[in-house]
Amino acid sequence: MNFLYQNIYYIGAFGLIFIGLYMAAAKKNLIKIIIGLGFIDTGINLFLIIIGYVQKGTAPIFSKPGLNPAQMVDPVPQALVLTAIVINVAILGLALGLAIRLYRHYKTLNVRKIRGLKW
Amino acid sequence: MVNIIWQNPILLILVPLGLAFLTPIIGLISKNFVKYVPVLGMLFNLILSIILLPKVIINPIIISIAGWKPPFCINLFVGPVGIIFSILISLIGFLVAIYGINYIKKGPIERYNILYLLLLTGATGIVLTGDIFNLFVFFEILCISSYALVAYNQDKNGIEAATKYLIQGSIGSAFILLGIGFLYGLYGTLNMADIAQNISTVNSPTLFIAMALFIAGFGIEASIFPLNAWLPDAHSSAPSSISAILSGIAIHIGIYAMFRVLYTIFGINNVFTFLAIVGIITLLIGEMSAFKQTNIKRILAYSSIGQMGLIIFALSIGTISGISAGLFQIVTHTLSKSLLFLCVGYMIYHTNSMELSSLKGLGKRMPLTSFLFTIGTFSLIGLPPFIGFPSKLSIILAGLKAGGILFLILIILMLCATVIEGVYFFKIVQIIYFREPEKQDRIKPSFTFLLPAIILAILIIFIGLYPDLIHNILNKSAGEFLDKLSYIKTVLGG
Repeated sequence: MNFLYQNIYYIGAFGLIFIGLYMAAAKKNLIKIIIGLGFIDTGINLFLIIIGYVQKGTAPIFSKPGLNPAQMVDPVPQALVLTAIVINVAILGLALGLAIRLYRHYKTLNVRKIRGLKW
Repeated sequence: MVNIIWQNPILLILVPLGLAFLTPIIGLISKNFVKYVPVLGMLFNLILSIILLPKVIINPIIISIAGWKPPFCINLFVGPVGIIFSILISLIGFLVAIYGINYIKKGPIERYNILYLLLLTGATGIVLTGDIFNLFVFFEILCISSYALVAYNQDKNGIEAATKYLIQGSIGSAFILLGIGFLYGLYGTLNMADIAQNISTVNSPTLFIAMALFIAGFGIEASIFPLNAWLPDAHSSAPSSISAILSGIAIHIGIYAMFRVLYTIFGINNVFTFLAIVGIITLLIGEMSAFKQTNIKRILAYSSIGQMGLIIFALSIGTISGISAGLFQIVTHTLSKSLLFLCVGYMIYHTNSMELSSLKGLGKRMPLTSFLFTIGTFSLIGLPPFIGFPSKLSIILAGLKAGGILFLILIILMLCATVIEGVYFFKIVQIIYFREPEKQDRIKPSFTFLLPAIILAILIIFIGLYPDLIHNILNKSAGEFLDKLSYIKTVLGG
């Protein structure tokens, strides 16, 4: 129980990543695959946040005198996550745009039926 | 002072990026001028890279951004490897941009030019950066613009190939980000030199997981064997100018990133033997798949997979001569495959078919194009006096020097693959020259096609005749990969 309590965030992050990988690999519907990509990205963002997380920590701004650096949350992973979110928005947007185009050509989103090229 | 500002390597990234965002505004002012924007941007990069080359050979240039000293800032590391890749990127970017002026007819040219410049910005950024998260960001710029460019024609095949490429590519970049997360968790820094300095302080299985994630992530872009399902579709369905860029630059950037992370951060270890074997498997699979294709662009795409395998094999030998041979093969493949895609694109442009049978007798209808195509194929097979001969020879010599029965077997397999490669390329050349054409008309090639193709062909023959010209710089680059300590010392000082 203690193990679970200490590592709950990591379990959550990797749970999301594996759910996403499963969706991207096993689902037939293109939209579900794209949602799976979103899951992977969310899981990784969560993972990056936990790396720098400090229980009951605050922002690393010296507003109050006498604030101990050990109580501050590491800001670098949060900056990384901010960048990663922007990148993911671009990828998911492009993916959905391509999915719309693909639907116009094939009238289906089932990737098993979209076989103009060899999958 | 002016002199120093103009020779700052940061401009190699800044100028194409700035031009990419200025393109729509330039398009509003002059519809005609906007066509030439990528040509000018890449010409600038090419000249600047060549000016920087002699300086960088002596001493790598470190650029710190925002006034902090490394490892507290994002820094650029402009070493021999970076500048070699930068020259290749800007050279191919420049030539393909000239080709694209008349080739791209469909859709607004601004959109194509923005994505094109962003792709090359991403590639240049990857080879120059010294910060691992910055590398990831540039990698994403490269990937996203290449997804969009594959679908540029908006036809059925292009969209489908781009979707496949996007799904696999974004899973790959997710792995890379995860690997970066692991490294940051272990070392608390993102600077590559700083991580490399502290790499031996931690000895945990997490480090191995991080390395595996990097290999898998960059391996998707570099198309190593089980991860290359997207490549034949994407490279064959894209517009031919983009195929030339993807095959000539994008996949090599994946390889560069993989080996930069492996050599500089993780150092030499057992994984290289594994990579050498995977490289040869990739080579065999690529060449055998190319052998049975009937679509000319798919043949070239599969041949790219094969060449990637060869390069991975050479770079994984792990000696100075091995890495230098691998980089030489990268130069060979970049020049030859770009030339082939440009020629094939021009042939398809006139015959409107990608099937091999439509190439019948083109030797009579398009003599110059066919001749240039033949130079490209002979160079890839490795016939003298073209550039492919010294590069393949140096790979074999490096492998034999590395010794061991394993490398001997791998080299024998590599020669078998070369024979397969020779057979299918000769088959194409035979179809082009010795079959009767369906029509008898002569097609006059246009200037914007001829100029880049002839420059590439001249380079292929010239470097093939005088390989010693680039031998020195290749050896320096190999030294940069292997000499981890001096990399750390140059970046962090002292």
